[in-house]
Amino acid sequence: MEDLGIKIIGALLTVILAFTVGMTYGGIVRKLTARVQNRRGPVIWQNFLDLLKLQSKKTNIAHGFMGHMAPVWIIISAGTVLMFIPILNGNLWFPNLTFHGDLIFLLYMMVFGSLGMALGAGQTGNPNSAIGVTRGLSQMVGFEIPFVLALVALMVQYKTTSIQDIMDIQAQTGTWMMFANPFAFLAALFASLGMFRYSPFDIVGAPAELASGPVSEFGGKYLGTMMSGGSIFAFIKLTLYVDLFMGGAGFGTGILATIMGLGILLLKTFSLYMVPVFYGWISPRYRTEQAIRYFWGWPTALGVIAVIWAIF
Amino acid sequence: MNSFFLILLILFAGAGLSFVLGKISSIISGTVAFLSIAAASALFFTQIEMGSFIEFSLGGIQLQWGLNSYGYLFGIIVLGLGTLASLYSISYMQNKERTSGFYFNFVLVIAGMTGIIFANDFISFFIFWEIMTWASYLIIIYSGKNVKKIGIKYMIFSAIGAYSMLTAIVMIKGQYDTFLISDAINAGAFNFIDNIYIPILLLIGFGVKAATMPLHVWAPGAYNNAPTSFTVIFSGAMSKMGVLGMGLVLGHMFTADRSGSLTNFFSGFSVIYLQQTIGWLGGITAVIATLYALIQDDAKKLLAYSSIAQLGYITVGLATGTKLGVMAALFLAVVHGIFKGALFMVVGAVERQAGTTDMTKISGLIRKMPFTFLTALISIIALAGIPPLGGFVGKWMLYEALITESNSYFLVIVIFFSSTAAFLYSYRFLFGLFLGQEEKETEQVKEAPITMIIPMLVLAILLVITGAFPGLIFSPIATAMEFIGFKDVTWNMSVLNNVWGNEMNLTYLGITIGVVFVSIFAFITLKGLKGTRYVGTKDISTSGEIPYENENLTFQINFFQPFVRAAAPMYKRSMNKIWNELGNGLEALFNFTRKIYTGNGQTYALFVVIFLVLMLLFKDTLFV
Amino acid sequence: MTSNNKDKQTIVEYIQNWSRKHSLFVMAYGTGCGAIEIPATMTSRYDAERFGIRGAATPRQADVLLITGYLATKTLKRVIRVYEQMQDPKYVIGFGSCTINGGMYYDSYNTINALDRYIPVDVYINGCMPRPEAVISGFVQLQKQIAEGTANNAAKYKENLEWYRANQKKIIKNWRMPDYNW
Repeated sequence: MEDLGIKIIGALLTVILAFTVGMTYGGIVRKLTARVQNRRGPVIWQNFLDLLKLQSKKTNIAHGFMGHMAPVWIIISAGTVLMFIPILNGNLWFPNLTFHGDLIFLLYMMVFGSLGMALGAGQTGNPNSAIGVTRGLSQMVGFEIPFVLALVALMVQYKTTSIQDIMDIQAQTGTWMMFANPFAFLAALFASLGMFRYSPFDIVGAPAELASGPVSEFGGKYLGTMMSGGSIFAFIKLTLYVDLFMGGAGFGTGILATIMGLGILLLKTFSLYMVPVFYGWISPRYRTEQAIRYFWGWPTALGVIAVIWAIF
Repeated sequence: MNSFFLILLILFAGAGLSFVLGKISSIISGTVAFLSIAAASALFFTQIEMGSFIEFSLGGIQLQWGLNSYGYLFGIIVLGLGTLASLYSISYMQNKERTSGFYFNFVLVIAGMTGIIFANDFISFFIFWEIMTWASYLIIIYSGKNVKKIGIKYMIFSAIGAYSMLTAIVMIKGQYDTFLISDAINAGAFNFIDNIYIPILLLIGFGVKAATMPLHVWAPGAYNNAPTSFTVIFSGAMSKMGVLGMGLVLGHMFTADRSGSLTNFFSGFSVIYLQQTIGWLGGITAVIATLYALIQDDAKKLLAYSSIAQLGYITVGLATGTKLGVMAALFLAVVHGIFKGALFMVVGAVERQAGTTDMTKISGLIRKMPFTFLTALISIIALAGIPPLGGFVGKWMLYEALITESNSYFLVIVIFFSSTAAFLYSYRFLFGLFLGQEEKETEQVKEAPITMIIPMLVLAILLVITGAFPGLIFSPIATAMEFIGFKDVTWNMSVLNNVWGNEMNLTYLGITIGVVFVSIFAFITLKGLKGTRYVGTKDISTSGEIPYENENLTFQINFFQPFVRAAAPMYKRSMNKIWNELGNGLEALFNFTRKIYTGNGQTYALFVVIFLVLMLLFKDTLFV
Repeated sequence: MTSNNKDKQTIVEYIQNWSRKHSLFVMAYGTGCGAIEIPATMTSRYDAERFGIRGAATPRQADVLLITGYLATKTLKRVIRVYEQMQDPKYVIGFGSCTINGGMYYDSYNTINALDRYIPVDVYINGCMPRPEAVISGFVQLQKQIAEGTANNAAKYKENLEWYRANQKKIIKNWRMPDYNW
């Protein structure tokens, strides 16, 4: 029973951590973007203010059951994936379910939210939403190819499909996967550009022509909940990348070790997060087919090289 | 009387009776068809013992009918889905013409498939196979539309399959002097060492029904042209007969003991070669069918292409030849039967209530047909392979088998591409029919009658159960796999394992999803409950513009245009074109032949004279 | 007076108003020439985002409706529609002299003179054009009102809907708006 209690507390801690970190990263990116544009920019906790405001809206509208459920799908997907991703290596406070699911599962579970969200956006009947969804799904077919190639390379190279095992192997050999199989890392990094949907791959939201696309009919609590889900997802993707390619983080269970582990995790995730953000600052937007072709070009070639590298 | 005879008798009698009673009323005819299939399934699941068989001789040929664990697995699909589909047909066919012929052939197809499952010898297997094929052909051309184009295509490909199968049967008889399937297997007819042609000919025969590339071109048209309540069986169960045959051949081929053979190395090599070929054929089938599915505007056609894609996955799974892979294939076969059956039922319900399945004409049916939508939603989640439903279990095992056991790393990418692109048409299907603008044209649409809703919901519930407890299906699959030569097949109720020892625990997954779902659903619903109001689909932000009531805001045409543009090179090739060119070539050949066989009696007489003259001239050299 | 109002708020309301104050999603309805000042206000030189002000793409997400300049009668209909699609609490800023009294178009046949006869306005920004400093000062004024809890014009609109509708219908001859169940 005590074990279960720790697990539940650990799960709640994980959710709070993911939420806080994701939201703060979003705020930091806004601040940094502003500084790059020679502005002062909003405060770092601006995203929390936005969320609080959205949640304290007095009225909300929904276009029907699926529209009502759209944020629910996202949170289900985000929350479930979060439980299956190792946050800190060998730390009892974040045990979760890391041994009970693997990469293939995560790939599919991460799609769950987008598809549910797409259904919700579909029910609003706004043509802009549907166009945004088709763009998003098409782009997904684009970036999933190099991403999966990279993952297959990892799985083949170390004969495991579990994230925990890949982390352990990196800890034992002392070599991060980004050096053990650099091509896989590069392919996954290119895929991450599409995953985070910063410029030049911000074709889904596209405020200029699609009026923010799929979310154009959502406001108030719906938009707020989606925002939280999106933030958790940002943390999930970053942690996944860090776990797979950058050796993860974590030293043990003690308080000091936990704090140090979290510090390392934040450092690694943040530096990784800067890649799509930096790329976005200097890029205009692609058209959808250009974006898809982009991912099917060099990133896929790198992925193929990564798999061949892994086999031999 | 013996249960085998009884079941087939009930089915054939049901077919005849529903044909006769169909002249009175289509409902009576449908009820008779339903009752006969239900009775047959009741007998099948209760009365027949596993492993029992009967022998009798007919015209001097020894025939054997029996039930093995492998047949039982497919019996679940055929009779389970058959019962639900026939119940569904009653309402679906209510106001159609010539229903007596439809029900006659419908029950006959079920009888044919049941016979295939019972058949332990090649002769009755082939006879029942032909009954199934002919009855389904009659249903395909039932509507009277596209008979020339689609009916003939189906007939030709079925004939190719039947002839190659017949040739294989004759060869087996010639080589091993037996018609019994088990004897042929024990003698090594499928093991690819002693003979290469028998397995390949049989695979061609079964590949036609399983719609494997390049023999798939008949399928989209035929699936689309048949009445929807039969397409449920066509795609859900009949295509699985091809899977049954392929599994039988490939399973025995891959598990055959080659240690004693001198040509061990080379034959093993050639088996791997064949394995890779079939796997890649399956993979390419999946990709091409998916690409074509997502440009369809007709929901039924979309599902038809999607069926071919899913059968491609099953082929890939069978071709891995590993325990996990074959298990994945058989699991996918069962689950595909469930969700594709449910989806075709959904399409049928929409067709009946709204009058069309063209997604550019109807949209926004979700409020009018909530139960149909629920079924569609669950089935689509299973089709897309998203956790926690049954489809995911199959996909997971397939990927793990390809990565961990079969070393087909690039085939994984092909499959993954196909199943990611499958999200596109999955979304298209749900959006096209149920979501989007609620237009005036569909205002009068009502929910389908209860006899159509019940089968759909049963299938939807089955999908949820198979997602949480796939072990319920693993247990018949495991015994079935032992029949086709695999040893020590292990399975768990709701934990999946691969050979590298990684696990996927569906119980924890279910609990996590449940907890998150309940809490967040309560939060989003209760928070600001009073301030939340539901608005219609015309109340959308259109830059302040107020749409007229009959103003069309539906986005349906050229749905995935950016994707199609990006993937344009992949759309250039088409198997249809290649077959057409082959057909043109053959026609030229036949035209040439016609110059010899002119149809003129004088010419033939001339040939005879020339022949005799030649015989006389060369009589010394020819008849020494 | 300010302190009195603050005392009346409960702690929850205080926090909510504080967050509303610092996060204003602006639906910039570029009706007239005033729209040209919006980019200047938002971008590097004046940087409205440091006050938590950012643009919103659709009325569903927006808090503030910014009417920039003269309002033609045709446009009024769209503005009303956008305003009614926004979710409570929502605020309106009238931007430039034209929204106050018609400005230089006071005698035009096809523009309206006073915006607050048709939708309730929280803050007016004077000038033709008001410079970005003035715009930001207007936003700060709105933030003060929100913090004090006095920016309740959306509720006022619902209460006096008949009066507003009558005024609106006087201007818009072909009235074809959906009925709302507030």
